[in-house]
Amino acid sequence: MKSAISPRPVRRPPRPHRPGRPPRLGTALAALSATAALSLTGCAVGGGDGPVASTPPAHLSGTVQLWHHYSGREAEVIQSVVDDFEKKYPDVKVHVHSGQQDTKITQVVSSGGDVDAMITNVNATLGTACKTMADLTPYMRRDGVSTADFQGIFAQATAFDGRRCSLPTTSDVYGLYFNTALLAKAGYTQPPRTLAQLEDMALKLTTYNSDGSIKTLGFNPLVGFQQNTSATFGGTAGVTWMKDGDSAVASSPQWRRLIAWQRAFVKKIGYGKLKTFTAGLGDEWSANNAFQTGRIAMTLDGEWRVAFIQDQAKKLRYGTAPFPVLDGSGQKYGGGFVSAADIGIDKRSRHKEAAWALVKYIAADTDAAVKLANGVKNIPTLKSAAASPKLQAPVQYQTFIDASGSPASATSPVTEIGSTLTATMDNFWTTYQEGSGGDLTGGLKKVDRDINNALSLRRAK
Amino acid sequence: MSTVPVRRTLAYVAEHALLIALGLIFLVPVAFVVLTSFMGGHQTLTGALWPHPWQWSNYSTAFHTAPLLRWFGNSLLYAGASTLFMLISSVPMAYVLAKVRIRFAGAIFFAVIIAMLLPPQVTQVPIYVMWAQFRVVGTMWPLILPHLFGNAFSIFLLRQFFLSIPTEYIDAARMDGNGEWGILTRVMVPMAKPGIAAASIFMFFQCWNDYYGPLLYTSENPDLWTVSYGLASFHGSHSTDWGVIMAVTTLATLPVVLVFFLAQRTFVEGITLTGVKG
Amino acid sequence: MMALATIGLLVFFLYPLCANVYLSFTNYDLASSPKWIGLRNYTYLFTQDPRVWHAARNTLWFVVILVPVRMVCSLGIALLLTRRKRASGFWRTLFYVPALVPPVASVVGFVFLFNPGTGPVNTLLKTFGIKGPLWFNDPSLSKPSLLLLGVWMMGDVMVIFLAALLDVPKDQYEAAELDGAGGRQKLWYITLPNISPVLLFSAVTGVIAALQYFTEAAVASSVANGKTGIDAGADQLLGYPNDSLLTYTQWMYVQGFSSFQLGYAAAMAVVLFVVAAAVMAVLLRKAGLFRRKGV
Repeated sequence: MKSAISPRPVRRPPRPHRPGRPPRLGTALAALSATAALSLTGCAVGGGDGPVASTPPAHLSGTVQLWHHYSGREAEVIQSVVDDFEKKYPDVKVHVHSGQQDTKITQVVSSGGDVDAMITNVNATLGTACKTMADLTPYMRRDGVSTADFQGIFAQATAFDGRRCSLPTTSDVYGLYFNTALLAKAGYTQPPRTLAQLEDMALKLTTYNSDGSIKTLGFNPLVGFQQNTSATFGGTAGVTWMKDGDSAVASSPQWRRLIAWQRAFVKKIGYGKLKTFTAGLGDEWSANNAFQTGRIAMTLDGEWRVAFIQDQAKKLRYGTAPFPVLDGSGQKYGGGFVSAADIGIDKRSRHKEAAWALVKYIAADTDAAVKLANGVKNIPTLKSAAASPKLQAPVQYQTFIDASGSPASATSPVTEIGSTLTATMDNFWTTYQEGSGGDLTGGLKKVDRDINNALSLRRAK
Repeated sequence: MSTVPVRRTLAYVAEHALLIALGLIFLVPVAFVVLTSFMGGHQTLTGALWPHPWQWSNYSTAFHTAPLLRWFGNSLLYAGASTLFMLISSVPMAYVLAKVRIRFAGAIFFAVIIAMLLPPQVTQVPIYVMWAQFRVVGTMWPLILPHLFGNAFSIFLLRQFFLSIPTEYIDAARMDGNGEWGILTRVMVPMAKPGIAAASIFMFFQCWNDYYGPLLYTSENPDLWTVSYGLASFHGSHSTDWGVIMAVTTLATLPVVLVFFLAQRTFVEGITLTGVKG
Repeated sequence: MMALATIGLLVFFLYPLCANVYLSFTNYDLASSPKWIGLRNYTYLFTQDPRVWHAARNTLWFVVILVPVRMVCSLGIALLLTRRKRASGFWRTLFYVPALVPPVASVVGFVFLFNPGTGPVNTLLKTFGIKGPLWFNDPSLSKPSLLLLGVWMMGDVMVIFLAALLDVPKDQYEAAELDGAGGRQKLWYITLPNISPVLLFSAVTGVIAALQYFTEAAVASSVANGKTGIDAGADQLLGYPNDSLLTYTQWMYVQGFSSFQLGYAAAMAVVLFVVAAAVMAVLLRKAGLFRRKGV
């Protein structure tokens, strides 16, 4: 059944037969067998990494299809950077497809859709998408772009399986946001530096209604609430995800202590109360965000929240700090969970040079990176941009710039199973936090098994 | 001797009370959704039941932020073209299966039944791969085109309807020198109008309400979003308040309900038919 | 005359059915050619996949609970309506219209109404002194919440029953009354056997619909979760809360079209095919017996 040839697929949709003049069975069978032959070969990636010209083309033209996952305000910023690029190369048009989920972008690329360049998330997507992307090494060597130009952790995370398939653009850095007015009312002037301090403060900051339900919450410990995930919590707890290509969470004492801490915290307030309170909160991305409206005093969030607050809650008095570390985990204070957006070229693109020019411009041009960071309020991964005096950084934002370059920062590993890695952990944790009990070590061992099984299925030959 | 009428009256009152109670329960969700659509964003999060003040602007905001007209247009295109294509392909097939003696009719009908009964996901992967090969993922073609090649449920339904038309009419038409196409277009189709209406309505609504197909094939292209898909993503991608979301929900529902009130009889007859004939 | 539909059956049904079996023995990610890996997908499905059994159990719940409950409620209301002569059009419309609302719209509406903290339903319960539950946010209540939605949207089944009930010959009831039969006996010995083809029809279509239950569960999960960030991977929103709304077809969709394990999704499809075929066979055979006994 398996056919060895992979014909270049037809570009046009099959023409519908005109009604009234049905084709004969012979024609139909011929059409059918053609379809069958086509389909079983799969959409094998054609072309691949062709030779790259030794000198950059003198003139660039064509249309580049750029797909990315930003939407709304952030998409407008990307568009303005793209506009600058078009001014620089007047004969190149960039058609932007904004607001696309990573999985959708991968789906479009894999099914042979019209994509030249794409911006996705490293941790969730690069592991599955890398092989559909062109190797950037020859272009980088030729045009003098070096991985050393980027913050080390991001330069590392944007290559996969030995392939330099993408470059980092902006990064997300997570930290602690705290409402200074609420903290002051409870007598605090400093944010917590360890999880134990966070818990103490949070319990004192929590107030209740007469019927026992939560009125304002010090800190919401539930995994699954907004940005609370195993990845973000794990970022300052010194946890181990993988060892030698296999999952290793059960053998990491930090995981056990982190989860035990969280569950005890949840129990002190009550899972049901927290759940009811959480379900009644406004949308995370709207002006009704619980931190912005003062219903939650401290929260774990990304650097973009600074821009949202500027936009939606100008009167809020707040501060930011690195997220507290797990007591006695050996983790240094000052970093946080980080993640990056990566930009790369579709292997099958027919405008690779123009696409590379766009990738280079967005990722490695200092002014463009600064503009992007100022607009999106993410942290530049390009060292020259992070150090640029043009980077507009409100006080609260500086925390994240510092954390981004900090050796204490960590990210979750990039693997072939993408977000399944962290989702498996999240899944276990959300069940565990309910308090139905069960053996923590046993649960973590099952997480290991599940992740390893998923990896082995993906790697099956 | 008066016990029977008394019991009758009691039963009558009880039944009516039950019916009214049930009716209210069925209406309550609609009422809440519509009321919420007039509330301000903050009020929707207070558990309030009555808008205060009435925020009429939610509806203009809804039209402003959600490209409702485009969604309607796309849904109309998807459902309309699919229905038309289904008729072109399925009516002749159903006629043949019902009234023409051919070889393998039993086997073909069996295949139709199986195709109708199996969840479409069973064949999803290869069909997706096929569309990917033709480079039409991200267009409307994968949603619409299959209907030009028949729809198992419609074929089944129409066949059942054609079966109930007496064969004498066909014989008479054949005497008059009509070929099979002539018989189909001049005799069968006019007689089978209710059946065809039923099949069309069924097809139309199935496509209008479809979420899975647009999710799989057209979600990457906002220009092609349908009402169902648009509505689901609207909640996801817009950081809006519930008042506006409920306004969009109300507006998205309105056309269907309007159409229903305009063509109530055809509707209920048609939908009823799908069941009774099956 | 049969050409179009025959091509359709071959290209969109028989061929994919076979191709699917082939793909289920491969590791296939759409970007590269399928690699033959024998039974690996099946061993993963039956012995390793941590979520597929949750998904299968949830789907089974909808088959076993949602379908019969919807049928019984529809039958009940249809029976009530057959006895109304006045304003029958009004009542019929009232109970039927919810079935016309696009499912996505009704789910969005219901999840908001049943929001534990801010929804009108719990506000209403509070005025009666009842502490409202977490509904869509409680893993043990999320499916029953969707059941409420399913009952609310039962109009499609109800009108079919109604039409069938009106078709039951009056003289049979009269004869039974002469024999002294009560209401329950009439229902059991006359009404139900008379409408059994329609009951069978709605049972079969209901089970098929439940096996592919997707839209309502998927939309309810993502709306109830409230976490709609674009960075969130699709599988992080999936099945919320705690996988209680993760159905078999959702998991298949994610495996195939979010994780790009199309070979594995094909294996899941093969299993779905076997289950669906078995269920159909059983139902159709059972129905045959019922008919012979009843009439």
